Amino acid sequence: MNFLSHLRPKGREASLGIILVLTMGVTGIINPRFLTGDGTRDLLSSTSIVALMAIGIAPVVIMRHIDLSISSTVGLSAWMVANLCAHHKNFSWWQCFVIAGLIGVAVGALNGILVAGLRLPALVVTLGTLYIVRGLVYVISNSVDYNAQEMPPSLLAIGHHVFLGLFPLTFILVLIMMLITAWFMKYRKPGRDCYAIGSNPPAADLVGIKVFRRTFLAYVFSGFMAGIAGVFYLIRFAQVDSTAFYGQELAVVAAVVIGGVTIAGGSGTTVGAVIGALLVQTIQGALAALGVDAFWKSAINGLLLIIAIWADRILARKSENALLAQRIKERA
Amino acid sequence: MAQKGDLLLQMTGVQKRFGGAIALRGTDLSIRAGEIHALLGENGAGKSTMLKILAGVHENDGGTITLGNKPFQVGSPQASIEQGIAVIYQEPSLFLDLSLAENVFIGRQPIKGVGIDWKAAQDEAGKLFKELGVSLDPKRQARGLSIADQQVVEIAKALSMNAQIILMDEPTAALSASEVERLMTVMKNLKAANKAVIFVSHRLDEVFAISDYITVMRDGATVSQNPVANTNLQTVIKEMVGRELTELFPKTTHKIGDVVLEVKDLSNPAFFRNVSFNVRSGEIVALAGLVGSGRSEIARAIFGVDKYETGSVKVKGKELKKGSPVAAMEEKIALVPEDRRQQGLFMIAGVNRNISMESFPNLVNRIFINFKKERALTATWKEKLSIKFADASASVDHLSGGNQQKTVLAKWLATNPDLLIVDEPTRGIDVGTKAEVHRLIDAAAEEGKAILMISSELPEVLGMADRIIVMREGHQVTELTRAQATQENIIAAATTGKVA
Repeated sequence: MNFLSHLRPKGREASLGIILVLTMGVTGIINPRFLTGDGTRDLLSSTSIVALMAIGIAPVVIMRHIDLSISSTVGLSAWMVANLCAHHKNFSWWQCFVIAGLIGVAVGALNGILVAGLRLPALVVTLGTLYIVRGLVYVISNSVDYNAQEMPPSLLAIGHHVFLGLFPLTFILVLIMMLITAWFMKYRKPGRDCYAIGSNPPAADLVGIKVFRRTFLAYVFSGFMAGIAGVFYLIRFAQVDSTAFYGQELAVVAAVVIGGVTIAGGSGTTVGAVIGALLVQTIQGALAALGVDAFWKSAINGLLLIIAIWADRILARKSENALLAQRIKERA
Repeated sequence: MAQKGDLLLQMTGVQKRFGGAIALRGTDLSIRAGEIHALLGENGAGKSTMLKILAGVHENDGGTITLGNKPFQVGSPQASIEQGIAVIYQEPSLFLDLSLAENVFIGRQPIKGVGIDWKAAQDEAGKLFKELGVSLDPKRQARGLSIADQQVVEIAKALSMNAQIILMDEPTAALSASEVERLMTVMKNLKAANKAVIFVSHRLDEVFAISDYITVMRDGATVSQNPVANTNLQTVIKEMVGRELTELFPKTTHKIGDVVLEVKDLSNPAFFRNVSFNVRSGEIVALAGLVGSGRSEIARAIFGVDKYETGSVKVKGKELKKGSPVAAMEEKIALVPEDRRQQGLFMIAGVNRNISMESFPNLVNRIFINFKKERALTATWKEKLSIKFADASASVDHLSGGNQQKTVLAKWLATNPDLLIVDEPTRGIDVGTKAEVHRLIDAAAEEGKAILMISSELPEVLGMADRIIVMREGHQVTELTRAQATQENIIAAATTGKVA
């Protein structure tokens, strides 16, 4: 498997990895409970949901688009699956995944048609579907909640599978999805097309890339992953109401951007997106373990985001300046 | 594989018209394998139209084009590529986030098994770069490459698609001297591989240094086709400018007054060095030279859009604050930029709002804009400049290029400037409107305004200017009075840096 060596995270991913390890180490020294099996399991299990969504929107962001509807999709898929389980007692875990995937694909296809087909701006379209889908959840749920007793035991059992005492099965699934998409984005032409489209949209058209099809499919994928994340939500919390995962879309966007997927398109990897999600969640967990007031959570998240794009800007300016200096030398 | 000297492309009597305007009225061109062929001519001679026909962007209306012994299939850029024709534009559009290897093979990445074979792509791209005589790392990102290297990547891409004929549209316009040298090496290597290279250039010294064959075009027709040994610089210049100055220029002589603008030793090392000149009231001074010679950058530095490193700008004897368009406007300077769509207008706003934009202080009563005054202002300038529009508040996007240009002029004339800088004032507008714009500029000079005009069109420069400063690669080559200036000595100075 020599592709693993090519997928090896470089630059941004590596430095984020170091920051991640440092954060865990320092926090672990100050508060040893942070690094215990329980603490780590909990951290990884809550990261799984955000990381799965991050993998989903990474290709969309790489194409210079955005998908804000994902946390509404999580809400819709989680509530719908729970509802079906409540009404069909013999539902099994895999049926939950299929239904959730289909719901996600449907929302993604709607986004895809509006953004790729009608060429409407992605920010506005997905802001619209964010409200539409959440509104739909409110209407159909009619304030009904579901708890563990209404869910299939085979589904909830997934949450109890832990490997090596540290890694929840859901997190392992996230890692598998990460590797598959990372391989696809690096080694398959449709994956490369995403980078080309995000890097220079008019030029992508000129070299004959199927911009509509790629954009549409990226949204379908993003929706699909959000749908599956809905099942992960049920596995982790074993309960759902109409406000499930409300307002978390920007946390996912932040994770992806911190992970090195540039909002201007054209670069980034799903490996980076997952590391970004891990870092955000770890820092949140660390703050709690260090006894920092919970009110600081979102402020620190925001700070991290700005530092990340600032770092990108500094690197970009460095190469611009080098070019200019060369030009000055040659004009002399 | 073509042998050296094989006829690859033959164009005979090719014609092209756009609506009423004739772009090509019977152009001939023959290209052989292993040949570097220069295509020369002034702006508007039809070179770009010809390249665009070969690139598959336009379709010719008459004449024949054959490739080898087959007729050329005009149609799409894709069809041209399949027939072995590749075009390298002045500003390549690479995917800056991707590696050079991927840029070369985008959409055609080599596959091994189920995935892309990156090693093969890198090796192949590296081989192409080596053939072209340039050491570029195929693994590096395209971002940060100079324009010259980006062109090399485009050429490698063309070769990877088996291009036989490589067209380059003013490839050297934006390059520095050492980059030009590098590109010339690449062109020589292409020639050695029996490819045909057609290139458009305004830098005649380069043309004579590298071409085997020179075709000169004028007014949409081929004037001459000669091996380089059978012609010389003087002949070529004469053939290029043989055009009669038929356009009428309304230039009148006015009273020339005090110095309004005084530029001294102005330098911004990346773009221009030690530029000194002045412009007097009632006078039109032209900055002539090729695109990329630093003219627009000088205008931007004077107006404060860009900063400069050393030197000074004085307006009516007073030092002007560096890097501040607001200060420039307070000193009554106006700049009509070269790109009206990007820099000159707010495309979604109406004519009225565009014209009043810089005159708001005079239109405001206490807090609100007085729309009655705005309407009056618009009406005044509509009349003065005969701008044609149906609805003053409809977006200027719908106006013709000529009317857009007049709107930009109106916006700045409404500020009643003492110094009006116009950058390519008649680019892309029809002949009738051109004459009107010239009349307006002349009228502004008549009123005692000082005019600094940047223009790439020689008839315009010769027809309008009292004095002409010729720029080349950021240096001021010479300054000519109206009486001294001819098409020949301006071209010679702008393209070779030598004063005739």
